[in-house]
Amino acid sequence: MNGGFAGRILHIDLSQRRFETEELAPDGAEKFIGGFGLTVKLASEIIVPGTDPLSPDNPIVFGAGPLVGTSLPATSRVYAVTKLPQSNAIGWCGGGGVTFGCLMKNAGYDHIVIRGRADRPVFIKIIDDDIDIVDAQSLWGMGVAQTCSALWEMVGRPAGIISIGQAGENLVSFSMAYIDRLSTIGRGGFGAVMRSKNLKAIMVRGSRGIQVANRKRYRELHNTMVTNIREYPYLKEWQHLGLLKSLPFTPEGMDYNKIRKRRIACVSCPIGCKEVIEIPDGEFMGSLIHSSSIVNLLTPTVYGFTDYREAIQCVSLLDEYGLDMFEFFGVMEFAKDLYAQGRLPGDAFDEEIRLESFTAMEKWARKISLREGFGNILADGFEGIIKQFGEECRPIAPYTVKGMLPYTGPRGPLPWNLFGTMELGQALDPRGPHVGAGGSPTYFARRPLTVFPRHLQRMGVPDEAINRILGTKASGEEYLEIGRLLKYSHRWFAILGSLGICARAQINRFYNAALCAELYESVTGLETDLDDLRKRADRAWTLLWMANLREGMTREKNPLPDKWFQEPGFNDYLTDASLSRDEVEKMVEDYFDEQGWNRETGIPDQKRLKELGL
Amino acid sequence: MGKFQITTNPENCTGCLRCQLACSEHNTKRFNPSAARIQVIISDAECTITFAEDCTGCGVCADNCLYDALQKIAKEEA
Repeated sequence: MNGGFAGRILHIDLSQRRFETEELAPDGAEKFIGGFGLTVKLASEIIVPGTDPLSPDNPIVFGAGPLVGTSLPATSRVYAVTKLPQSNAIGWCGGGGVTFGCLMKNAGYDHIVIRGRADRPVFIKIIDDDIDIVDAQSLWGMGVAQTCSALWEMVGRPAGIISIGQAGENLVSFSMAYIDRLSTIGRGGFGAVMRSKNLKAIMVRGSRGIQVANRKRYRELHNTMVTNIREYPYLKEWQHLGLLKSLPFTPEGMDYNKIRKRRIACVSCPIGCKEVIEIPDGEFMGSLIHSSSIVNLLTPTVYGFTDYREAIQCVSLLDEYGLDMFEFFGVMEFAKDLYAQGRLPGDAFDEEIRLESFTAMEKWARKISLREGFGNILADGFEGIIKQFGEECRPIAPYTVKGMLPYTGPRGPLPWNLFGTMELGQALDPRGPHVGAGGSPTYFARRPLTVFPRHLQRMGVPDEAINRILGTKASGEEYLEIGRLLKYSHRWFAILGSLGICARAQINRFYNAALCAELYESVTGLETDLDDLRKRADRAWTLLWMANLREGMTREKNPLPDKWFQEPGFNDYLTDASLSRDEVEKMVEDYFDEQGWNRETGIPDQKRLKELGL
Repeated sequence: MGKFQITTNPENCTGCLRCQLACSEHNTKRFNPSAARIQVIISDAECTITFAEDCTGCGVCADNCLYDALQKIAKEEA
């Protein structure tokens, strides 16, 4: 490999306590771009259909794309693909890589494949070619940040770390892992998958370096991008506020300038959305919190928290346990409603469920994470609760997709009633309800259609497809085909993820698909034009879809949630009219059609598979 | 010797390592933060920026900083 790729895959078998390295095959890398695409390919080849997500047979495949480790802006993304316990799907898990992706590549690995189960808690230590499977008994019982601190104390810094907290240790169905204690990775139970391998953490550091194939061209492209970024009029505002810039309100009493201690960026990111926050006064005065963003820290205000300091402290506790915040509050709300309707035993709670109370939520987070008392049932999520107390509880549950809570919607944690690509994507992402892959201009409410084509061209949507997606009918009525547009959201996500570029809107605005092809070619030396890149991204996404069809994830087994079509339901992005099931089912069919899959079943036919080289 | 004195403003640093990436590539033709002549460590809320003895003051680190954590000053101006 000329550049970009580290050139090796590290295979670790925890059962056998063995490891080996494999040279990265250039043709496979080229065919699936790298990063997200190649991780999907490697995982789909080794996951045996029907594998129990929590069995030793379920592998975890990590990957970072060929741009990761270079100085191109915000190229740090890390992906993992495995079977996720909550959805039982083969899911992509992704996170801002902070330092992990860069250091993994510098250690000489594009991918790490972990199989088996250690006979006791361990962490994996990777320093270049020095690989150790180390006893982690001393880390067991620690939270996410505590684990990172202990490992940094043990091995020094810099070191990239992916770790789980107590929720993962106790196989909580909605436990996640964290990168460098800051980025979440693996909504859907990835923390439990790591625990099922007795794997508390992975730590990596490297010194081999990454080279680019065409330094001259790389510098030209890089310098142009950096100039554009420096000239971006909102750069300083984003750098100062982080994601708070996109929050439409500021909680009462919160002075962001007072609580913000430091902005943290993933490697090479010009914006930085992570932060260190210090609570300035009150009960938690002096509490120093490392977080994926201030916006996440303030989420409990949606559930009725009135003291921003308690909201911040609450989310920091959930992060420390390694709990999916949205799923946690969804499960608590479900349990509260069941109790109110007399569906739970009278002695179920020794602590009242009050979603707006820090004291109550702190206790329930602990009970769930440690599986204490009734927390042991709640730890199994919506499906676990229904299994325990009967199907008659299901109508009371929040609507779910693949057993998980879609967090954007008219009744979701993020109350939002316009139906764009991210909303439809919650039903069509193979991993389960996640919005990360469904980005498009519909991310913002009520944008005029006139601004769409420029954005779609940037995402690499061909002109002939733009005409199918939006326009004005002979009657003068405007149309926007969300299903067709979603295909290109998924493709754009696959391009960005496979190269290693952050998918956040405030970052990917500096990229376009044609530039991505040029960057890929200059970094790797692999001849690539825009059409090549588009086709390879479609190949990767279709392979992920196929792998899940193989697991039985058919259209009929994953119906759209009924509650999307009950008042208050979703509304049409353009007209604001209520959407019917038929209208959304048509969007699903349009999506299948645009992908070139069977319009009714969503199954790609042989012709399409042949076109994609699958 | 290089032409620039590099001044630091650690409170602005985000740990993005663009300085280390640029320095190492400039000197070794590989992006390798461990080989950079500038080293940034962020621990909790604190940031430490240090320069190796073989730093030549070429200024490429400051050129690549997007957070105003590094500035280069021509030596005759310093």
